Amino acid sequence: MPSLDPTLKRCLMLAKKDTREILASRAYWLMLALLGPLVGHAFLTAVETYAEASRGGALPQGLSPLDGILVPTWGAYDLAATLFFPFVCIRLVADERERGAWSLLLQGPEKASRMLGVKFAVLQAAWMVAWIPGFIAMLMWRGYGGHINALELGNLLTGYALRGALTIAVAMAAAAVSRGAASAAIVCLGFTVGSWALDFAGAVHGGWIEKAAAFTPTNALRSFETGLFAPSKVLLFIVASEMGLALATIWMRLGWRARQRVIATAIMAVVFGIVAVAIAGIPASMETDVSEDRRNSFPPADQALLATIHDPLRVTVHLAPEDPRLTDLERNVLAKLARAMPDFEEVRTSESRTGLFDRNSYGEIWYELAGKRTMSRSTTEAVVLEVIYKLAGKSPPPRADALAYSGYPLDAQPRFVTPLLIVLWPALIAAACWFTVLRRRA
Amino acid sequence: MLRVEGISKTYGRRAVLDGVSFELRPGEITGLIGPNGAGKTTLFECVAGLLPSDRGRVFGDGKMLAPENRKDILYYVPDGIRPWPDQRLSWMAEFFEHLFARPPGEGARVLESLGLGHLTKSPMGWLSKGESKRALLAFGLLTPQPVLLLDEPFDGLDLRQMRDVMLRLQMESRGGRTLFLSVHELGHAAQVCDRLVLLSAGKTVGEGTVAELRARAGLPETSAIEEVFLALT
Repeated sequence: MPSLDPTLKRCLMLAKKDTREILASRAYWLMLALLGPLVGHAFLTAVETYAEASRGGALPQGLSPLDGILVPTWGAYDLAATLFFPFVCIRLVADERERGAWSLLLQGPEKASRMLGVKFAVLQAAWMVAWIPGFIAMLMWRGYGGHINALELGNLLTGYALRGALTIAVAMAAAAVSRGAASAAIVCLGFTVGSWALDFAGAVHGGWIEKAAAFTPTNALRSFETGLFAPSKVLLFIVASEMGLALATIWMRLGWRARQRVIATAIMAVVFGIVAVAIAGIPASMETDVSEDRRNSFPPADQALLATIHDPLRVTVHLAPEDPRLTDLERNVLAKLARAMPDFEEVRTSESRTGLFDRNSYGEIWYELAGKRTMSRSTTEAVVLEVIYKLAGKSPPPRADALAYSGYPLDAQPRFVTPLLIVLWPALIAAACWFTVLRRRA
Repeated sequence: MLRVEGISKTYGRRAVLDGVSFELRPGEITGLIGPNGAGKTTLFECVAGLLPSDRGRVFGDGKMLAPENRKDILYYVPDGIRPWPDQRLSWMAEFFEHLFARPPGEGARVLESLGLGHLTKSPMGWLSKGESKRALLAFGLLTPQPVLLLDEPFDGLDLRQMRDVMLRLQMESRGGRTLFLSVHELGHAAQVCDRLVLLSAGKTVGEGTVAELRARAGLPETSAIEEVFLALT
């Protein structure tokens, strides 16, 4: 490497060392081996279910490979990011720290932040290498004659790349703060359980808890799974990952007292809180619907007409957060309205189950536009749009009779999944692990 | 070259270091000696900036060095660490060679000079205590900082290995490098070090050549280093 910049040369050397450390880690090989059967089983079940749905009747109409194949197959990686990958990340940081290697490196020419940045990049690459079984499944699906929309897959993989980055950052921060692999593992599991608890609380209570729950890793990933590219989710994943990396640097840099590290952590937490609130305020109108069936948008004619309504629309909903009608209304109508209309506001009057009993107005949905006000109890798209057009004094656009998206039904047999992903893949990984790690130790 | 002034460090209510001061001169080998629990390792970590001290300053060539800048002039090799157990010794030497921009092949040459040439293909985790100690010393010798701090460099070495390591350190010192070693065997310290710093209960109780320390203790010229040590600590 004679012509490279010295810093880059050193970073490449550090990356080489970290790659060797990951390849020497049995945890990584184990995760790779387990991902074959996990992805294989998810793909097998998905193809069988998709084939059943594709057989006869009206059901095949509108069948989308995004819901039927891509999301269930890649869903195995959410499990891996939650339960397996944190341990691989923790090992790379905690092992060097516990064995004294980090104190040797800290006295070298590179700063702690850069060395941790290199570790982050190497772990991100290792996470993407673990996607191979997922890509094999996608190739098999194409081999069966299945359809894949590149934009949908690209968006989904963006979500999983960001999910991996967050896992790495949380694990690195945990390893840095807790000074031991076992404690770091507990911190990571605490983060996961905490985010699940927030998901649950958000589903039961409304208000700020529900808003915060929209940004848990699981819920943030769901945007990508529904074919939505949400800049707020992307930004939050990136900022949270950067914060995790910064936290790791604070606790692993040279020469600071514990008090300095605690103060820096507190300042960083406040900054993160402010940035997170700012990100949460990014309007839904900036989100892009990349799904092939345009599930996150109204028909194009309605989208165009709604965009011309510049008066603020205020929708007041008298439904409890756990009411399935509210879920329908939010997912199928209000979220689309927020993306389509220039000025939209949703108001919830009930933030808990008690709301069911304390008012006679329960179930009412009030619409206010240009000084006019009307009420409807319907949660269906067509009725709500009609109400809005009436308030705005607009004529509804003509309805298209035929479905724009006809779906991609496919009655395929999941051939080669078991031999390739459930049997051969773990065997190949075991052999590779033997040649790179275990043979030297035997 | 390097001056340490009033380094203090407490753990809870226990004062491990209490105003330790001393000086390292260019191209000399200085030994840090003291009984178990005297604070030798803590002193090394504080001087290197790895452990924040409560008080005290470190000067390099007359300029005060903040903890994060001390790595510019000194490198500390701790005792009792077993880093990168899965990596081959040759690869780790190559890693240090590249990290510190040393001439190509320097890593292999240093390993050879410390009698580790036959172990280059071994993973670090397979090395014995003495081999691991020499491997760490090799990494330290591959660093370019003018001051090298070595915590117990002779611990775990047999007689022959110790002699070879002493010769290698003396060669390094003759090349202009300043070495600061903690040594618990007084005989070894007297054999290899130009000057000694005596540490007892977290305080500097003596600093100088063996002859200077002997005179300070008021002992005759024939008295052994052990007697000097006992008289001053």
